[in-house]
Amino acid sequence: MNRKIESGLQSADAAHAELVAIDRILVSEDALVPSSGFAAAVMERVREEAAAPAPIPFPWKRVAPGAAVAAVALGWGVFELAAAAKTLPATALIAFGSNTQALASAGWTALAVLASLLAWRLSRRMMEGRGLL
Amino acid sequence: MHAIPDSSQAERNGQADCDAASVERVLAGDVEAFAAIVERWQGPLVNMAWRYCRDRGRAEELAQEALVRAWRGLKSWRRESSFSTWLFALAANVFRNDLKHVPAVTVPMEDAPEPSRPAGQLAALDERGRYEAVRTAVLALPQRYREPVVLFYFHEMDVSAAAGTMRLPEGTFKARLARGREMLRRRFPQLKEWSAISAGGAVQPGNEVSL
Repeated sequence: MNRKIESGLQSADAAHAELVAIDRILVSEDALVPSSGFAAAVMERVREEAAAPAPIPFPWKRVAPGAAVAAVALGWGVFELAAAAKTLPATALIAFGSNTQALASAGWTALAVLASLLAWRLSRRMMEGRGLL
Repeated sequence: MHAIPDSSQAERNGQADCDAASVERVLAGDVEAFAAIVERWQGPLVNMAWRYCRDRGRAEELAQEALVRAWRGLKSWRRESSFSTWLFALAANVFRNDLKHVPAVTVPMEDAPEPSRPAGQLAALDERGRYEAVRTAVLALPQRYREPVVLFYFHEMDVSAAAGTMRLPEGTFKARLARGREMLRRRFPQLKEWSAISAGGAVQPGNEVSL
């Protein structure tokens, strides 16, 4: 039993010595001296940023009324749809799915939404290209 | 030599006052006042970045980015902690994120130099090479354990400062650090022999840590 304890203590001592060796190696690293132009390069970047015009703030005042109207319209639409879905029998929904005319108009709507998205994306890219965004 | 210059408490207080005064001037619109902050902290930040990537050019780029971000975010320093704590935490964040996108060149832990070899061959290796092998192996540690190890030794084995830089509770930090050091120890079974060869290094008897 004593031998076991002794060997356990010895291995604990060995592990401790190894950790001390790691400490000695990793704490004793030579310090790097930044290159001579480092501080000047940092200050140049800082001055550039300080001189750059402040970014144009997002026109919340102009957007807010439109966004509010859109949010109300969307909420109202969802409410109406939910109310209609409650009153319509399930067969009516199936009939809508099988109605080719209704499907065609849904397709056109999807196409219009897609075209709007593309137009928005294109205008954004053009503004980015001119550095306006 | 250490990454952070040794200084007395009075000197540190004086430095903190200088930092606070410089920050006030920058926030009041004096861009040039930031030069004093750059001058004071460029060395520690380059050294800290070096320990994250062990690439001198990249270390300077990372340190520069950290200083520019510090300039942009000076308003967010709330004086609850010292300027250095805030700056190191910001820098650690910059280094961590940047290295996530473009990792430092490392080798897997098992391919790190210095596998188990007979003691006779080990003796032939010069001390510098052995030390470099251990330092390189730190970068091969899993990310979770690497950063505590890097910051612990960067902060000269000050657990509280290193945990503050990582914004981790000390207990969590200590657990990760202990695991990282243990992985390193197991990776280099020759460490005891090395310590015998180069006894009398930087760690003083009273400076040893137990985690």
